Amino acid sequence: MYKYDHIDQTLVDQRVIQFQNQVERRLNGTLAEEEFRPLRLQNGLYHQRHAYMLRIAIPYGLLSSKQLRTLAFIADKYDRGYGHFTTRQNIQFNWVELEKTPDILAELAKVEMHAIQTSGNCIRNITSDAFAGVAADEYVDPRPICELLRQWSTLHPEFAHLPRKFKFAINGAKEDRTVLLCHDVGIELKKNPAINNGELTADIYAGGGMGRTPILGSLIKQGLPWQVLPSYLTALLRVYNRFGRRDNLYKARIKILVKALGPEEFARQVEGEWANFHNEAKQSKDNFTQAEWERVAKHFTKPNYKDLTELSDEQLQSHADSKLNASEKIGFTRWLERNVKPHQVPGYASVILSLKPHGTAAPGDATSAQMNAIADLADQYSFGELRVTHEQNLVLADVEQMELLNLWRAAKNYNLVLPNIGLLTDIIACPGGDFCSLANAKSLPIAKAIQERFDDLDYLHDLGDITLNISGCINSCGHHHVGNIGVLGVDKDGEEWYQITLGGDQGNDASIGKVIGPSFYANEIPDVMTSLINTYVEQRTADEPFIDTYRRLGVAPFKEAAYRNNGKHSKESSKGAIA
Amino acid sequence: MNKQIISFPKDGKPSLIPNRWQVWDGEHDEGGIPDLEHGMHKVLVPFHWWITHYKNPDIIHRANQGEIGVWFAADDDILKHTDIIEAGKSLWPVVGAHFPIFRDGRSFSTAALLRGRFDWQGEVRAIGDVLIDQLLQGARVGFDTFELRADQNLDVALKQFDLFSVVTQNSWRDQRATIAAS
Ligand code: HEM
Ligand code: SF4
Repeated sequence: MYKYDHIDQTLVDQRVIQFQNQVERRLNGTLAEEEFRPLRLQNGLYHQRHAYMLRIAIPYGLLSSKQLRTLAFIADKYDRGYGHFTTRQNIQFNWVELEKTPDILAELAKVEMHAIQTSGNCIRNITSDAFAGVAADEYVDPRPICELLRQWSTLHPEFAHLPRKFKFAINGAKEDRTVLLCHDVGIELKKNPAINNGELTADIYAGGGMGRTPILGSLIKQGLPWQVLPSYLTALLRVYNRFGRRDNLYKARIKILVKALGPEEFARQVEGEWANFHNEAKQSKDNFTQAEWERVAKHFTKPNYKDLTELSDEQLQSHADSKLNASEKIGFTRWLERNVKPHQVPGYASVILSLKPHGTAAPGDATSAQMNAIADLADQYSFGELRVTHEQNLVLADVEQMELLNLWRAAKNYNLVLPNIGLLTDIIACPGGDFCSLANAKSLPIAKAIQERFDDLDYLHDLGDITLNISGCINSCGHHHVGNIGVLGVDKDGEEWYQITLGGDQGNDASIGKVIGPSFYANEIPDVMTSLINTYVEQRTADEPFIDTYRRLGVAPFKEAAYRNNGKHSKESSKGAIA
Repeated sequence: MNKQIISFPKDGKPSLIPNRWQVWDGEHDEGGIPDLEHGMHKVLVPFHWWITHYKNPDIIHRANQGEIGVWFAADDDILKHTDIIEAGKSLWPVVGAHFPIFRDGRSFSTAALLRGRFDWQGEVRAIGDVLIDQLLQGARVGFDTFELRADQNLDVALKQFDLFSVVTQNSWRDQRATIAAS
């Protein structure tokens, strides 16, 4: 994984000093809160309902065991013993004190981490495939480009005060695991012998985003040589910086500009701006060089894999069988099926540690004890590295198949092996009304109630792949628009209600879900879920996943079932929120 | 108006210098540029005002004396007026770009375009809601003078420029450190 050299280290160290100075001016009253706000946001510091929240970048999802131990240390020393992994490969601490944040940032800088641009109207932490470099379906390892662009975007002077936040996702595999089309800019990396001498190229999608107006990004450029990414992206961001709307917060994202102009016209304007960079003289200055590539790419070489033979699932199973009792057997088999993913290298596998226990912790939360344990597991089983997924789970990417059983046993002690990856209870949820001051409604109790309702693993496995995403308001931090089932908190006359969408999807067939009808009370949601799921079970053909059944039948049967017994909207029949 | 501004020439050091240019907001136009403050002769006029007045003999005369520059509002599309700006290069000693509020970053792109596209060699001044924490970014995209908002502490402001010894992307002022290291 990438190692800072003196340049990277100097930059984050000096950034800590800069922020320290800004905090001092805030505390001595020479910097007004309103003027401090964008400065603290650009360092990941929010003000939430109860306290400050610090969001720390995990660039393209990659963490070392040492870094994770530092996060655990921060959780214990500066917070309440846990952290929250988010949908954008960041971690958040919910209870930090303003005065202490420079110290936290200094701790982070010691392990090559920072909170730069994790919030604010600037280029945010760049996200990518959690399985980069190991996924069996990968065309190109996206990490060198992610890192080059991380550096390019860090403290970029021209784009420090954009109309609104700006999020990049970068993917290099057949399957999209980055929700690419829901980003302001999505970069799809390819290698095509016919273009750029078979070297890396990028397809650029622009104008995706969720929130109030969910829109999927449009393809605006194909086959861009990787070297020219800085000038092309500068041109793109310049068009947005100059012409994105600043009069209305809700219309300020690039998606609104791209929609208003039309993707063709937007692409034309970017091209016009870019033409100015893209002449011989200037090109040589701005383009990434081969030497720069090597400075970065040398850190993303393959770890020291052993020469192993590939084991089939049956072989793995029979290897484990003799060592397991009957109930363990079921657990391990399910875990192999759901939480273990194929690897590029024979004899290795990638393991997803579930941060979605049923009802006992918020989706994406990890305690400091878990973090320390996971760091140990990473050291013992996966070359000391791990990854964060946008579904809010953690990945040990390089585990020997023969060690899976040992790993499973060790991780079980820390409640990290629930075999629910990709299942109904692998819920993506934002912090919602329990923490967030923008929330219309709570989201964590809804996630908990659904996990408790669907606690039967047999049944969950039978249901198969299905995504359920919850946001506490239309800002869509919980990605509800792209959940097969989406739950959105809405406010009606000061009460918390929940709107259901169906048919959203991430990945290559990304789609935005459709609202099924009037909202429900919190305590109706588990029953609504049961109705939706029962409808699926009744209607599905063999092996048909939920989303396919929905696409085949449309919303009608689901809607009918959801409202048959629920949604009377009378306070007498269905009272209040879930505690 | 601030009596002192920060000057930070491209190849020089930041320092405080007297402010010789008054910014006129274009209001109260009673047929020409209004009287300037006592002792002031030089004025930055709004670019949109210049467009409609630059043929006026009085204005031409004052411009030829080197007493008129223009300032661009955040929503001026300077690429729509390339001819006027090209002609202005030999007339205006200074151009300004305005920040209506500190968190509006459009003038960063204006300055970058003035330097990169128009190859503007003269002074580019940041005016309006210019705060201490915009200085570093402004200096990198192309500004070389800054008229800070009146309440800003100029000593603290001057210290901003040496906070960072490395940068990781090219800009008007500096090349990325990463390229030399590669
Ligand atoms: C204090 C807590 C938080 C606040 C105040 C907050 C605020 C916001 C706001 C205002 C937006 C909408 C931006 C827009 O549409 O222009 C947004 C979007 C988003 N947030 Fe958060 N957020 C918080 C926590 C989180 C957490 C914990 C996550 C991940 C679990 C998250 C993930 C996202 C994502 C992925 C989007 C993008 C939606 C899109 O593409 O439009 N946020 N957030
Ligand atoms: S979706 Fe709304 S409630 Fe949830 S974290 Fe984002 S802003 Fe807060």
